[in-house]
Amino acid sequence: MAIAETQGLTQRFGATAALDGVDVEMQPGVTGLVGANGAGKTTLLNAMLGLRVPTSGSLRVLGLDPIISGPALRAQIGFAPERNVLPDEMRAVDFVRHLAELRGLPRGDARERASDALWLVGLGEERLRELGTMSTGQRQRVKLAQAIASDPRLVLLDEPTDGLDPVQRIEMIEMIGRISSQFSMNVVLSSHVLEEVERVCDHVVALDAGRLVACGPVGEFVGQGEGLAVELVDLVEPVGTVELVEATLGSWGLQVRREGAQLHVRGADFDELCDRTRDAVAAAGARIRRFDAERRSLEDVFAGGAR
Amino acid sequence: MLLGVRGWRAVSDFRSGGSGLPTDSLSGAASVSAHDRAQIMDRGYRSYDGPRTGLFGAMRSIVRYSIRSSLGMGRSARHKILPVIAFVIAVVPAVVIVGLAVLIGIDLPEGGLLTGIYEFTGVVSTALFFYCGIIVPEILVSDRRNGMLPLYFSTPLQRWSYLTSKAIAVALTLAMLTVGPQLLVLIGHTLQGTGPDDPIVWATTLLRIVGAGFAVSAAFAAASLAAASLTDRRAFAAIGVIVLLFGSGIVAGLLVEVADMDAMIYAFDLGGISDELTRRIYDVTSISELVEEDGFIPGARRDELSTLFVTAANAAWVIVGAGIVWLRYRRLALSR
Repeated sequence: MAIAETQGLTQRFGATAALDGVDVEMQPGVTGLVGANGAGKTTLLNAMLGLRVPTSGSLRVLGLDPIISGPALRAQIGFAPERNVLPDEMRAVDFVRHLAELRGLPRGDARERASDALWLVGLGEERLRELGTMSTGQRQRVKLAQAIASDPRLVLLDEPTDGLDPVQRIEMIEMIGRISSQFSMNVVLSSHVLEEVERVCDHVVALDAGRLVACGPVGEFVGQGEGLAVELVDLVEPVGTVELVEATLGSWGLQVRREGAQLHVRGADFDELCDRTRDAVAAAGARIRRFDAERRSLEDVFAGGAR
Repeated sequence: MLLGVRGWRAVSDFRSGGSGLPTDSLSGAASVSAHDRAQIMDRGYRSYDGPRTGLFGAMRSIVRYSIRSSLGMGRSARHKILPVIAFVIAVVPAVVIVGLAVLIGIDLPEGGLLTGIYEFTGVVSTALFFYCGIIVPEILVSDRRNGMLPLYFSTPLQRWSYLTSKAIAVALTLAMLTVGPQLLVLIGHTLQGTGPDDPIVWATTLLRIVGAGFAVSAAFAAASLAAASLTDRRAFAAIGVIVLLFGSGIVAGLLVEVADMDAMIYAFDLGGISDELTRRIYDVTSISELVEEDGFIPGARRDELSTLFVTAANAAWVIVGAGIVWLRYRRLALSR
């Protein structure tokens, strides 16, 4: 069963359409909601929570209508908002426990699971610290902990890596993947960093200015590309080997795109492409630094216009 | 997996491949007897299939958290100062009355126990004003300021259940001031043998104290929450509440007592109308008779108002205050 499905979902704020006729079906697992700032990601998450009545169209989440069955639905959802503003003087464990109680856990269970969730996200030793004394990375982890403490069926994470450095981003993304796989939680995470989505998500939903531009398994959008990426050493002697290789490949009818000493070659089947490139490099007396099949990323898909 | 043994956490032992059992500090040998007592206390994060409390549990959690937060519980010492001051102002007169009755056997006033209690409601009102102005706004304003609203409304809570929980929290906290000291006096005199003897009279006295206390709490809670709902700045909310409480009394008093206008204008004086309602629920002597001095007696013309009007005016404060809060939150965007 799809965890969420929309039909013609439209959300207008005055003359602006934050969501414009979105038809999407989100499958179980980890779904990445991607798009630039202002694409409508947060609006869609809020609609899934039933916080706004859609202007038109329909939406069902976990089989329920968020407007009609809001409280029953939200009892099954954990949510971490984008904003990083939390009650500074509250201890992390009290904050997580309070939210777990609000999502329906009895007091004793909430207390126990708040500690467990904080240990899971790596804040076990810090659970008695006040939120105001925590770093951005720790606060993001606390937000994740409160979202999962009540063992929800669906977790909605709005920009969970916002404000994190590259290492923390990777840690957070891996943690989200682990939580989903180990505890069978469905996760929808919004992000404008496509690399994160590639790394952890099973499915991707891409929005642009409120319109759906792509939807499907991540594997359909990323993986091995059609071409070859060759990085050459820019030699002092002989001069101009990179240009010579480019010209040779071009004369053989192959498509070549050059970025400095890197060539992206397309135009034949992969084995022939490798042989031709090898021959051109040998003929020019060039030296290879890296020789690899071109990898297609979500960024390439969206830059080239998604289906 | 995180494991703990009763009275002693063994997380690091298990992670490093240790036995997880208590060891002799010198030899490092595992204690065999401890093995029998070993019990897994902390099994780490896992799926949950226990009971769920639903909306009622969520509302209870909001009430508890709001009361704790407003009283500074679980927060640093500086947040406890103002609630303690308000509580001391309200309770000290009651303690003094009970103390005098117990230690030197001072008799009750001529009008009985409720007259004695009513005589110190002025002091309680001071604490009430102080509490409403300084502490109540924090209960509502802080959630908007610190980003808790989007989180709250991502749970089963809805606007009405959230606001109801907040109102209950404020009313219960205020009731500690409007009911607590009065009950203390009743219990003190009862234990001393100077309270009402007849069980029915005693129960009626109790009902009057509780009824008046909650009626006053409800009106003050609604008014201060209404003022607090209009701004995201706690300081502005505090000023708004204080101006509302003191200002309404001063203006109404001037219009009625000085400009000789209709006494019904007292309906706009929250402190005065609540005080009048309390007096009538207690069924004690009118204010002009309570004060023996001749000349100007503030609020004396409240005697001209009917009990029905006084009750309706108090209810109107509750309804209008609640309406303002609802209108404000109905329009409040819960998401960007």
